[in-house]
Amino acid sequence: MIELAGVNHQFKIGKRGKERVVPVLHDIHLRVEKGEIVAIVGRSGSGKSTLLNLMSGYIRPSSGEIKVAGKTVTKLDEGEWANFRLANYGFIFQSFQLIGSMTAYENVELPLVLKGVASGERRKKVMQLMEQVGIAEFAGHYPSELSGGQQQRVSVARSLILEPPIVLADEPSGSLDSENEKILLTMIRQLNHELGITFVIITHDEQVASIAHRAIRLQDGRIGGLV
Amino acid sequence: MKFSDQLRFVRQNMKKNKTRLFMTVLATAMGCTFLIVLASVGFGLQQSMVDNIVGDRLVTAVDIYGKNPDMHKDTNVYAEDIAMFRELPNVKAVTYRNYIGQWLNPKVDGEEVGSDRTIQVDFEAEAEAGFALSAGRLPQQDNEAVIGYHIREQLDEQGAPSGYKDASEWLNKTMTLEAGYYKDGEKKTQPIEVVIVGVTEKPTKEWNRDKTVYVGVSMLEQLEALTGTQNGELPYFEVENPTAEQIEAALANMPKPTESRSYSDVQVIADHAANVKGIVETLRDKGFYNHSIADELKQVNLMFAIMKIGLIFVGTIAVLIASIGIFNTMTMAVTERAQDIGIMKAIGAHPSVIRRLFLLESAMIGCMGAILGTIVAYLISVAVNAGLPVIIKQFMEEEVPSGFLFSVIPPYLAALSCAIALGVAVLSGYRPALRATRIDVLSALRRDV
Repeated sequence: MIELAGVNHQFKIGKRGKERVVPVLHDIHLRVEKGEIVAIVGRSGSGKSTLLNLMSGYIRPSSGEIKVAGKTVTKLDEGEWANFRLANYGFIFQSFQLIGSMTAYENVELPLVLKGVASGERRKKVMQLMEQVGIAEFAGHYPSELSGGQQQRVSVARSLILEPPIVLADEPSGSLDSENEKILLTMIRQLNHELGITFVIITHDEQVASIAHRAIRLQDGRIGGLV
Repeated sequence: MKFSDQLRFVRQNMKKNKTRLFMTVLATAMGCTFLIVLASVGFGLQQSMVDNIVGDRLVTAVDIYGKNPDMHKDTNVYAEDIAMFRELPNVKAVTYRNYIGQWLNPKVDGEEVGSDRTIQVDFEAEAEAGFALSAGRLPQQDNEAVIGYHIREQLDEQGAPSGYKDASEWLNKTMTLEAGYYKDGEKKTQPIEVVIVGVTEKPTKEWNRDKTVYVGVSMLEQLEALTGTQNGELPYFEVENPTAEQIEAALANMPKPTESRSYSDVQVIADHAANVKGIVETLRDKGFYNHSIADELKQVNLMFAIMKIGLIFVGTIAVLIASIGIFNTMTMAVTERAQDIGIMKAIGAHPSVIRRLFLLESAMIGCMGAILGTIVAYLISVAVNAGLPVIIKQFMEEEVPSGFLFSVIPPYLAALSCAIALGVAVLSGYRPALRATRIDVLSALRRDV
């Protein structure tokens, strides 16, 4: 489903002309199969978020090739990446990344709006999914009126509304208490099992890594083997 | 993303800072109002001046004043000249007026008609030329006539108009004309009856009074048959009771109806204003002195066109100044919504969608400003046209001519101003919109890379 071959990434820091090159990822070879839950674990600064950003298309690798669903995405331009993300990815962020001026309903609805789905169909789908993740009663609430757990469920609903084949999650339980973390992990397992959604989860939490089929450790920008 | 969703999205965002939105719309509206009002002065003065030049005349008419004596035997316009005019290309009609050469003392129901003259016209040609009536119709029979709009106007002792009576009340009434003629060495009279079938339109100019009786060619022929002179003219005698010999001698010297007749007030009417120039040049080449309003209007319109372009240009500067406000508002909006934009891009919003949303927002600001500005401009225009004559009369003791307009806003000026305001708004929103599309997702999400 996702394939990284010889991916390297480095950042340039400092003023122009006096730039310093900081290598972040070295020769990454990684293959995520369809329907897998893969956890990428590692210490802070190990490059795991950079790896997810490369898969998301937010940044481009310095070298190497990335294939997603059989398509080489390394050379896509910004517009093509936007379309590709909308069609193939769902995103769950550590700090939820909900739009504060929109209600929970509107946040979940947003990907459908971007895709140009008719409003009647949107309403049906959004309410159905919000009920599934247990936040239907908060549809009219703004993110600031919701707890962390509720916000993360809105975020999960938004990531799933277009029924993407892949969900990329960056520290999904990072802002949750243990009870809400449990609920989230159960939900991820259930979605993976029932819908066959592929999950790539960045985490440093052993509890989260434990639900994965595979956990890959990143150490100083290199894959350090299975956990 | 559907257009309706884009509109909803933009409306939601605009509501976030209503005060800033109001001030930006206000600035745009003020710019637009300034542009329209400024240009409307040019349009108003042009219209007033053109109306003053044109008056009751036709823009398609070419007035023939006579002939060049260097090219013709005399300056008069004869029947053969009129026939030649009719044959010219793009000529719709040729009109003329023959002034009846005596006072016919017209009466209706025994009441004296305040007519100042009787004129013979070619009604068929006049109809082609657009002879306008306020009531009734043009004559179709030999004994029918048309009367002037002011023919029943009453005058005070000084001869100034003191009251108006509706001339159309005389429609279908018989008017008796008293034709004078000399026979057997003495003056005689014979009544000629005509039916009033039409009343001319009110002249555009307030000071113009139409008290004419218009008759057809058959009435003139009747009169000429009686007098034996052209246009029914009677000889003038210095003595009160001329002798039969004096009368005979005077009549012998007057032009006879059968002789070549000269026509006055000849007008050649073009089928279209664009063809006037060609007709004018042809007639000049053929040695006819002529003049057309189109000539005058061309100069006036050119002068005002330059003036209007200048005024619109100056007005556009005001809109451009307002656009700085729009640019500022949109730049702030992009900065404030950077995180929202980042989230949208992160989940798959195409950069063109982001750009469209911001362009739509600036266009909506421009649109609201343009609509508000246009409404205010119309109100100002009405107030200026109503108020300025009063102010001028009050403080400068000058009377503004009736119908004079200081400000005129034709619909296309309003449309042009709205288009300028909208275009400027979209242009000023373009750079912020472009900046929005370039927002870095990771920076916006405030994530460590």
